[in-house]
Amino acid sequence: MSSTLTLNVNGVARTATVSDSGMPLLWVLRDILGLTGTKYGCGIEVCGACTVLVNGKPEKSCEFDVGSAVGKKIVTVEGLADDADGRKAQAAWITNQVPQCGYCQPGMLVATVGAMKAGHHGSEIASELKNICVCGTYQRVSKAVQTL
Amino acid sequence: MTTSVGRRAVIAGGATALLVPVAIGLSKSASLLGGASPTDGASANAAAGPQAAALGAYLKIDTDNNVTILIGPTEMGQGIMTGLAQLVAEELMLTWTQVRAEHSPIVATSPNPYANPLFGAQFTGGSTSMRGWYLPLRKAAAIARDLLLAAAEALTPTGAWTLASGGQVTDGVHSYRFADLVSTAATLTPPTSATLATTRNAIGQRLPRTDIPAKVTGAAVFGIDVQVPGMLYAAVVHCPTLGGTVASMPTSSRGALALVNLGTGVGVVSTDTWSAQRAADSIASSIKWTLPQNTAALDSPSIAAKGLSLVASAIETPRVYEQAGGIDPAAALAGAAAKIDATYQLPYLAHACMEVLNCTAVVTATSAEVWAPTQAQALCIPTVAAITGLPPAAITVHTTFLGGGLGRKFEMDFVTEAVKIAKQVGKPVKLTWSRKQDFQNDKYRPCATIRVQAGVDAGKAMSALLYRNVSPSINIQRNSSPGNNPEDTGAVAGATDLPYAIPSRRIEFVPNPADIPLGYWRSVGESYNTFAVESAIDELALAAGADPLAFRRVHLSGDPRALGVINAVDALSGWSKGPPPSGSARGVAFLKGFGSYIAIVAQVSNSGGKVKVSKMFCAIDCGVAVNPDQIEAQMQGGVVHGLAATLWGQVIFNKGVPSVSNFSNYRMLRLSEMPVVSVSIVPSEAAPGGVGETGVPCVAPAVANAWAKLTGARVRNLPFYPGATMGDG
Repeated sequence: MSSTLTLNVNGVARTATVSDSGMPLLWVLRDILGLTGTKYGCGIEVCGACTVLVNGKPEKSCEFDVGSAVGKKIVTVEGLADDADGRKAQAAWITNQVPQCGYCQPGMLVATVGAMKAGHHGSEIASELKNICVCGTYQRVSKAVQTL
Repeated sequence: MTTSVGRRAVIAGGATALLVPVAIGLSKSASLLGGASPTDGASANAAAGPQAAALGAYLKIDTDNNVTILIGPTEMGQGIMTGLAQLVAEELMLTWTQVRAEHSPIVATSPNPYANPLFGAQFTGGSTSMRGWYLPLRKAAAIARDLLLAAAEALTPTGAWTLASGGQVTDGVHSYRFADLVSTAATLTPPTSATLATTRNAIGQRLPRTDIPAKVTGAAVFGIDVQVPGMLYAAVVHCPTLGGTVASMPTSSRGALALVNLGTGVGVVSTDTWSAQRAADSIASSIKWTLPQNTAALDSPSIAAKGLSLVASAIETPRVYEQAGGIDPAAALAGAAAKIDATYQLPYLAHACMEVLNCTAVVTATSAEVWAPTQAQALCIPTVAAITGLPPAAITVHTTFLGGGLGRKFEMDFVTEAVKIAKQVGKPVKLTWSRKQDFQNDKYRPCATIRVQAGVDAGKAMSALLYRNVSPSINIQRNSSPGNNPEDTGAVAGATDLPYAIPSRRIEFVPNPADIPLGYWRSVGESYNTFAVESAIDELALAAGADPLAFRRVHLSGDPRALGVINAVDALSGWSKGPPPSGSARGVAFLKGFGSYIAIVAQVSNSGGKVKVSKMFCAIDCGVAVNPDQIEAQMQGGVVHGLAATLWGQVIFNKGVPSVSNFSNYRMLRLSEMPVVSVSIVPSEAAPGGVGETGVPCVAPAVANAWAKLTGARVRNLPFYPGATMGDG
């Protein structure tokens, strides 16, 4: 059933008309709102490429019903630059030249910022990152989060 | 419902003209600078910026004096945009902050200035981009430099113009920015040759990648991110059995705007990817398939059993790729003081790129425009032309960033499907494969069964090597035309041209044909042959009572670069200084391949009966190290790619149905399992070698050799742990 929802994405109220309120947030962000930074990887909450912050907590958006996101603050990779922790993480990623293909990095960064918002630092963050990176940027991710 | 278009919407075609408004006098400079002018440099990530003028095929200079380099190869994570831009920056004395890089257009005309000079086609694979472009791109940049100097002289004749840093020329008193000169330069006749810079201000420096800022903000546009106004979204259903074709299909489905018969599958079009996928799932059971006749043969255990049979039996006419020495290896083996006879087995593998296959297309009666995450630019326009019937000049194809390529994005299947769907619906369409479709319709790395017989003489010197690879052949399966390597020498890559001193050797290949679709997987033939060769060398060293690293050093002493990486990895790992920490062991492997030399030492321990890889020491000689930081990154990445395959990688086929469907049952390495990778780059002034694939092949044998040293258990069949899932610890 088609419905129109209002979502708070990166601090902006966005209106989305979706075919079903059970549509995963991932596809609303990507295909309806045009925020393609959040990536599809597995669709089953394993790889973490689709990670966004919902009320400050990392969530896999590939199986997160958009209806459940209404009224909550959603932050995607595109919103990290508006956040002090986000900017710090992005700077650490650039300093350590982390990304290769870069496809998993939005999820990796958002998960990192979520860990920072939970008050975690350094290797605590590294131990929480379960995101899959096929290129193998793990060593540089570990190095980058040591500075956070 | 309506589909709103995102704020980073791609304006098909229109933005291009704004980006490159000036194409002055390129007819003169074009041939020497590479032929075509970049009249269409827009990839999907093109953003509005200052106006830029072209100088030949590879350079655009904007009014802010930023220099954009148009890159023929695909950026798929290997850092080639940055590496090639460094070559130009060196010749033009550019400041790194003024350097930009973007994918070149895909040119259908010949000669294509963006074709890799190594083989004359615009392909990205085989770790060939830096090898192919190192001198040609520097020469083109040097010619551009001389044209800019000549332009300054034409505007202000002083006879004293020289290049200055930061994109300027100076006569000691005055200066011009390149931006002031580019329109004049483009009218001048280029010199036929130019002197290359002898400086190393950009080449050899750890310069930051040009693409990383966009990859931390979400702005980088991968194929899957392309957006075109009015675009619809598509999913695809393929036959659950490999090779099945559509016999009948529904004509409509709830939630689908169109169903398209693709022959090998059904395209399902809807308003967004999720709705398309949901509709695809709902019709899947209603599609009737014509199965291939031989589904029983699409069975990996049977293929492996056939391999074991072929590897052991007397075969009158194996394909022999190398026979060296006047002595029959079998006779030499008979007289060996110590010898081994070992058979190694490797499985089919999936590519598992993070970005699933996808492609976006617009097809009208008179034109087609396609955005493809492709490694095979040269195949795209002919593919689109064959489907649409349009002339090549009416077809535009853009290369996007790739969320990993690994060889899978060399194929045209996903491009073909998107173009067919777009042609039928008459609107822009983005096709996105589900992860399951991606895993179950891969072009798999061939399985291989390899027997190695080798011996040493009384002096512990290798006397003979008898090597037989039995595997399905990529090239034979593709029925390559004569002249296009129909024998598939790639099947024994990594076993031929070994720099080891072995007086008698014979390298055989016996095809093990099967209809499971095959493809090029990062490091291709070396991915299995190096495992067999380097495991066997280790087994032979142990049989001879020799230290495995010292044994390699002795047999590589005739090749200074091989010796260089052996000595470097020895120093880096501390191999000769003393034993590793208690409870751990080291194993070594070596490869000459992809124009480079590499040696890797793995340090492993036993964690509850399973191997734990704690450290990987890599020594590489890749000739001139254009960007040491990116070479290190490729070594780290090669270790991860190789390690996941070594420990867990495997696709089993049962009557044509693949065993894997997602990362959940195709185990990948996690951050917590990442060994510490140390890299030593051996200084070299040799021509650049490849680094993208070079790091992969030695991982499996180094780990297996270390594990054998630690436990006495020799792993000859990969993976170490079949059937692993992401839920495993």
